[in-house]
Amino acid sequence: MKSELTNVSSLGVPEQELFSLVTHSDEESEKITAPRYSYWQSVFRVFFKKKINIIILGLLAVIILFAYVYPSLISYDRYANLADAQSKHLMPLDAMQKFGFNLHWILGAGAAGDPTFDTIWVGSRISISLALICALINMTIGILLGAVWGFSKKMDAIMMEIYNIVANVPYILLISVLVLVLSASFWTMVFALTVTGWLGIAYSIRVQVIIIRDREYNLASKCLGTPITRIALRNILPFLTSFIVTLAAAEIPSYISYEVFLSYIGIGLSDMSLGKLIYEAEPAMLTNGWQFEFWSPVVVASIITVVLYVAGQNLGDASDPRTHM
Amino acid sequence: MTKYLLKRLLHGLVSIVIVVAIVMVLIYSLLNRALIFSNDMTYQKQQNNAKISYSFRKWQEYGYLDYVTFADYMNGLVRKGELDAETRDEAISIGRKPENDSEITAEYVEKFTKEYESKGFTVERYNAVTSRKKLASGGQQILFAHRDRPLIQRLITYFSSIVTIDTIHYVDEGTDIGERGLTFTTHDPLYGGKKFAPAIIGNGTRHKYLMYFDNQFPFFHQNLITISLGKSYSLNNGVDVLETMLNSQGSYVTRPITFPTGLKEDSADDLHTATYTEGSREVSQVLMDRFEDDYTNVTTRKNGMSKIGYSFSIGILATCLAYLLGVPIGIFMARHKEGLVDKIGTVYIVFIMAVPSLAYIFLFKAIGGSIGLPTTFDMNSTSRLMYLLPIISLALPSAANLMKWLRRYMIDQMNSDYVKFARSGGLSENEIFFKHIFKNAAIPIVHGIPGALLGALTGAIITERVYVVPGTGDFLTRAINANDNGVIVGLTMWYALLSVVAIILGDILMAIVDPRISFTDENR
Repeated sequence: MKSELTNVSSLGVPEQELFSLVTHSDEESEKITAPRYSYWQSVFRVFFKKKINIIILGLLAVIILFAYVYPSLISYDRYANLADAQSKHLMPLDAMQKFGFNLHWILGAGAAGDPTFDTIWVGSRISISLALICALINMTIGILLGAVWGFSKKMDAIMMEIYNIVANVPYILLISVLVLVLSASFWTMVFALTVTGWLGIAYSIRVQVIIIRDREYNLASKCLGTPITRIALRNILPFLTSFIVTLAAAEIPSYISYEVFLSYIGIGLSDMSLGKLIYEAEPAMLTNGWQFEFWSPVVVASIITVVLYVAGQNLGDASDPRTHM
Repeated sequence: MTKYLLKRLLHGLVSIVIVVAIVMVLIYSLLNRALIFSNDMTYQKQQNNAKISYSFRKWQEYGYLDYVTFADYMNGLVRKGELDAETRDEAISIGRKPENDSEITAEYVEKFTKEYESKGFTVERYNAVTSRKKLASGGQQILFAHRDRPLIQRLITYFSSIVTIDTIHYVDEGTDIGERGLTFTTHDPLYGGKKFAPAIIGNGTRHKYLMYFDNQFPFFHQNLITISLGKSYSLNNGVDVLETMLNSQGSYVTRPITFPTGLKEDSADDLHTATYTEGSREVSQVLMDRFEDDYTNVTTRKNGMSKIGYSFSIGILATCLAYLLGVPIGIFMARHKEGLVDKIGTVYIVFIMAVPSLAYIFLFKAIGGSIGLPTTFDMNSTSRLMYLLPIISLALPSAANLMKWLRRYMIDQMNSDYVKFARSGGLSENEIFFKHIFKNAAIPIVHGIPGALLGALTGAIITERVYVVPGTGDFLTRAINANDNGVIVGLTMWYALLSVVAIILGDILMAIVDPRISFTDENR
């Protein structure tokens, strides 16, 4: 082992500067000298320390702006050019030649002569809204029930049975039956995706709760007479924040993907969502010169999901207190 | 251990029954039952009362309700000996309107109504539809009773009809088919009776050949026990789900065969699969020339694989490829954390996790197509290249999933005490990684292997659709779109069974790999 000790006198500093007498003060010794720690402040400090996160957030802002503000600024009519045979299936350059250079035609024209760029953002608004609403509902129910599920042994037995059974009912069947019974509207879709969707989330929360439920600090808390609800809300939930954020980060894009998947197999929204757009543009993929109208919604859907996923994952990492050092 | 597993299996079977019950409620009670006729041409051609009785007949056939017509009731009375045939003939024809009924008819109509209403049936009568005093097309007056089948009865009927054992009493006892019985022969008559080929031939059974050998894998076949999951209606009329999935597809393979009558012909018929259809021989000259009895219903040989065959061969190869790629890369990523491969791998994992599966499958298709790989599946092609893109499209995403979990498990294990201890004990990093960390991290991975293998049987919806693979992947979605209830119930049951078995097998495999896990009650 190499010695790490340094001889003080070799530093060449006068002794007064190295050591000085400090008088004892009762008042000073009462102060706690640990640096001030605020959880959410630290989360954002860690989050913004990574430069990539700023870019991702910028992209997210652009996406939200285009999906929610842009469609209300333009007057969008999908079938405005329906009668004009010359305006259908245009590549961006041809479209801009025909309609003049502006943002609407930057991705060419679709099968109905509609500006693909506008169509995509109108569709994105529906898809993103669907994903956000479903995630909100599923996460809320999932977290609340999952916490109870993890605590109560009686409920665990019942819920495990329900989970095993529901997990085996084909999801596609359930959704399509609901869509057939209730009509293929936006809120039907929300209902279909949330009626059993929370179970998976509740299950993973339950596993996490069981892991930390019996840790020493919770046992101690219980021995001191803390009520169960307080243990759940004050001792366990903060512990799970990072997990929940990471879970939400995976959930939100997954609903967009799921909507795309359902539309592709023909069980979907009647509204013009991203999935429906891809489904309708699929034949165009095989036609030379038309590929653009297929690939643009696919690429936009991918960008949206990747941005949401990465932003959420990084926020999840940042909300883990262990990274706050 | 056996006891525990049996308990688990039984538990699994109970949940399957509940799942099937839920699905039955969904499709029989919640969905509009007229939907099943949406693709039925016969239904659309029918008119007036004929349409009503046709739909009730079909609803009975597909398990919605019990349906009895007045004529059935009268014939039943004759069979029971409560009525003679003459009275029946007199009473059986109901009037165009209830007022027109003859006295004796009215008497029996009342009996019929009383008897069935007491059983909980609804009795309905539709008067004749006439135009200018003449019967309109399908306007014949009808009288019938019907009752919705209760869920419990439907479940019992379904589960009791899954396994059927062929007996010599299959053919209606009233039919004269000669002596009923099973014959064992060492020289199968289909091979000219000269070659040694044991077979059991039945008369009176549903299948003519109950056991036989032929040159097709697995060479020995039996028809004694038939498993049926549910009869299809609109997709593959009258054929069982399992049979639809197992029958070969493609174009016919003809070869010279000798029919029982001695007729020699090039045909694709597989005579070993002959089943009984009453009175079928007499109605067709072709069948008269070929067969000596009513065992005329044969399947044909085709050059392609079955639906399950395609799905399974693609799925199994994709699973192997996924493990071959995912496991080493996952280990490498964990071993050289924050290295170049780890960073690229993480980007790839994020890509697969976040991007809709549809998008990357199309991306793979576009890339594959641009380097000259076949992008659509053709059953008649002998090229093996067409399997490549579906396999890759299935393997790459699941490899990403494996990489993600294996990397995370290994990194979690790296901080455990036993690793620090092993390191302080002087083990080399390679030894620590492969002998200690990998063994521990692989346990949850091992649990998923049976699921991945059995999952290959269910097929992949998007991949098969994108590459036009004739597999089982889109069977369920097509059944849903066509409102084919029998197929939906059958497939649900099949998927549930696979998943229950997969989880149990995964647990067994995990217990084999990890000696710490035990299923005996004392150690748990």
